[in-house]
Parts: sequence; structure tokens; C-alpha cells
Amino acid sequence: MDKKTIKILSTTMLVYALLVSTHQGEFWPFSIYPMFSQGANPWTRAAISDVTQVDDSLKWNPSEIDRFNGSLLAMNDIGVDQIDFSNYISKTIEWNIDRLEGLRTMIGEEILEQKELMIMKVNGLIHDDDHITVEAVPFILLTRDNTYLNPNLPESAYYENPDHEQPL
Amino acid sequence: MKTLIMNSLFRNLFEFEKPESRGEYIFFKIFELFIVYFAVKHAWEWGLYVERISDIVLPLGIANYLDVSFMFGTSLPLVNAFLITITLTIGFFGLFTRFAYLIALLLLHLQYATRFTLGEIPHSANLMGMTLLCFALAHIYFQDPTFRRRFAMGSVYFFCGLGYTLAGLSKLVGTGIHWFDGRHLWLWMSEKSIDIMSRAGSFEYNWLQELAFQNHSIASLILLSGLLVELSGFTMWWKKFRPIIITLIIGTHLGITMTMNIVFAAFVYQLILMAYPWPSLIDYIIEKFDSAKAKNEVEAV
Repeated sequence: MDKKTIKILSTTMLVYALLVSTHQGEFWPFSIYPMFSQGANPWTRAAISDVTQVDDSLKWNPSEIDRFNGSLLAMNDIGVDQIDFSNYISKTIEWNIDRLEGLRTMIGEEILEQKELMIMKVNGLIHDDDHITVEAVPFILLTRDNTYLNPNLPESAYYENPDHEQPL
Repeated sequence: MKTLIMNSLFRNLFEFEKPESRGEYIFFKIFELFIVYFAVKHAWEWGLYVERISDIVLPLGIANYLDVSFMFGTSLPLVNAFLITITLTIGFFGLFTRFAYLIALLLLHLQYATRFTLGEIPHSANLMGMTLLCFALAHIYFQDPTFRRRFAMGSVYFFCGLGYTLAGLSKLVGTGIHWFDGRHLWLWMSEKSIDIMSRAGSFEYNWLQELAFQNHSIASLILLSGLLVELSGFTMWWKKFRPIIITLIIGTHLGITMTMNIVFAAFVYQLILMAYPWPSLIDYIIEKFDSAKAKNEVEAV
């Protein structure tokens, strides 16, 4: 019985090792559990501000997290998974039309019928003096009819590929 | 020496030679039902969420080879959830085929790879998934029901302990021995505070987070204790260490919830089932019940 068990476990371990080593540590349900394995790295998350009532001249201003323009829209209220949303914003490197449309689908056109929403990238980092700064940078503005990118940010903030598709 | 350790490990994990008590059988079926319930729950939750997805940001697992976007905008994720429910039910009742749990796991993998395409790599369902894999292996390779249950439970402890130790090692490899520097916790706490604020609309740090922010040593101690507990995860392979190490792991999860607002509910429930000698408690209750019944019968005669 022990030999049989060793054989089954060894084979499973081999498959485990092969899958995680060739898939950056993750092949559900196998994992090397790398979460929070890298300390001190700056991070980027995302949040949504309702800017329907905000003056156009102020909409694109970056700010500290507790001073951004508009009112924070709770993801729970629109049924969007916050972690999904943050990853979608922070891990997308090519903001092509499909990706922008995907963002609108995630939030829901019915929400955008009523509100102008500013997608903000929220960046955190720790300085040498142990001070942590958290800054909200307006990134994409979603209105009922259009999707706008922040005109103050360089193109490289939205596209890695210089021959990118034209935005909406 | 090597043989001695291996023998001790096998005796502690699998106990193939030991007769199965009624308490062990009842506990196993409760444990199995728990896993089936959470697998079904995840299958439907993931399936229902796919409706909101129209693009792939980060393909995971099978999605690296199969374009899972064919599942988007269709009722296929719900059909898949239904099939998972059926195959898990067949597996639980041991009907028709020995491959039911394996089929359920593969379908669940597809469901996971379809649901998590937006960049998130969650681990909250990994323990359930690994347990399902252990059930699948037990059903495929063992005909005798007792051996099947013994193998399933032993391998669950094996992979669970391995997973925690790997998590600890990942931290040492990813950052080094100074991983437990309290400043790292400050940065992660501020990161998670944005998630909660964005999710709920508001956020306030609790007393433990405030304490960690005020005192670098306390923040470092929190991380160090978590790291040591994770590295010691493999000790759950030995029966006598199980209640201690799994209780410490549960404590670590509670600490993670309090400092970083990450809740692993199903994970913790499963650890509670795995930590303590519930089969012995069930045996004790059965014995008490039987002796009371026998006493009543004698008195009646």
C-alpha cells in the first residue's frame, strides 16, 4: 500500500512541479502561493469617482487619495468585484478599443447612462524616510456616449505598442 | 534514518493498517460534503460572474492554451456549473464511475480559468481544489472504501502542509530574510485599505492596524510570526502537531484578516475541520449514546 501511495504522490508532485514551474507559479489548484512575497514594491490599485458634478477643468487633476474630485463610487453598489477591477486597470498595458469596451461592460452601460465616472489609478509607495504616499491619478473618463483618456498623461501610460489602435 | 522518517510520515498521514471507526467514517462524509458544497458554490458564483467579462487580461491555467472567450456572453458557464454539480453529486454518492471527481475538478478548472481572466489570481479556493484532487486520486486508485478515505485525508494533510511551507519559502525567495520588515506591512495595509475603500465607499484602520503603523517592531513581529507559522506548515504531516500548527495557521489567517482585510472564510472552515480530533469526539458521543441505550434496555428488562 505504501509503495502505491508513494507512486501516486510522487506523480502528483511531478505534475504539480511541472505545471507551476511553467506557469509562473500558478495552475489552479496548484500554486507556490507567491502572494505578498515581494516586500517594499510600489503598488497600483484603482478606484472610481463620480465626477458628474465636477467642473471639466478639475476632472483631470491628480490628488492625494483623500482629496480627489468627485465622490467615491462603491464597487459593491454596482456589483463589480473590486479586485478584478483593480487588476484590470493596473495590469492592462495596451488600452485598445476592446479593453476600453471591456471596462464599460464591467461597469455596466446602465450605470453610465446616469453618471460620468472617472477611473483613477491609485499609486502607493514608501519613501526612504518611511513615509507612505498614496496618490490618485485620473486615468479614464467614462461618459454616457464616450470614453476619454487623460490628456495630461503620456501615450506610454496607455500603450506599449507605438502602432496602437486609435482610441475611441 | 530516511526509512524511519518515511515510515513515521506514512503512519501519521495514512494509517492504512488501522481499522476505521464509525466516528472516522461519519467525519469523512461530513468533510466530503463540506468540500462538495463549496465546490458547487464556487462553480455557480464563478459562472454567474462571467456575464460581466468580455475580455482576457491575464490568462490562467488552461486559458493559456484554450481561448476561453467562447464562454463569454453565453450560458455555457452556467451549463458548466450544472455539469460540475452533477459530477460532484455522482462522486459523493459513488455512482457510475470512479472518475466523477476528476471530471468535476477539470470542469471546475475551466470555470476558474474563465472567471479569473481579468488579472486577479485568487487563492481562496486552492485548498478546496487540492482536496477535490485528493478525492479524485483516491477514487481512481483505491477500490477499498476505507483505503480510499484514508488516502484522501492523508493526502489532503500532505498537500495542505506543503502549500503553507511553499508560501513561506516564496517569501524568502521573493524578498529574502528581511521579508518580515514591518515597513512592508505598512505598504500592504495601505494597499488593501484602497481596495476596501473602493469596494465599500469608506474605510477606517482598526486598532491592530493603527498599532502596527505606530510601532515598526510590532509590525515586524506580526510578519515574522506569520512567516514562521507558514514555514512550519509541513509539521501537520505528523498527527501530534496537527492541532497546534493548524490552530496557529488559523490564527495567522485571522491576523491577515485584521491587518490586510483579506478573508479566506472557506479556507478557515476547512482548517477547523482538519485541526482537531473530531472523529474521536464523534466516537465518544456514539459510545455514550450506545452505553446509555444499553443501560435503558437492561433497566427495561
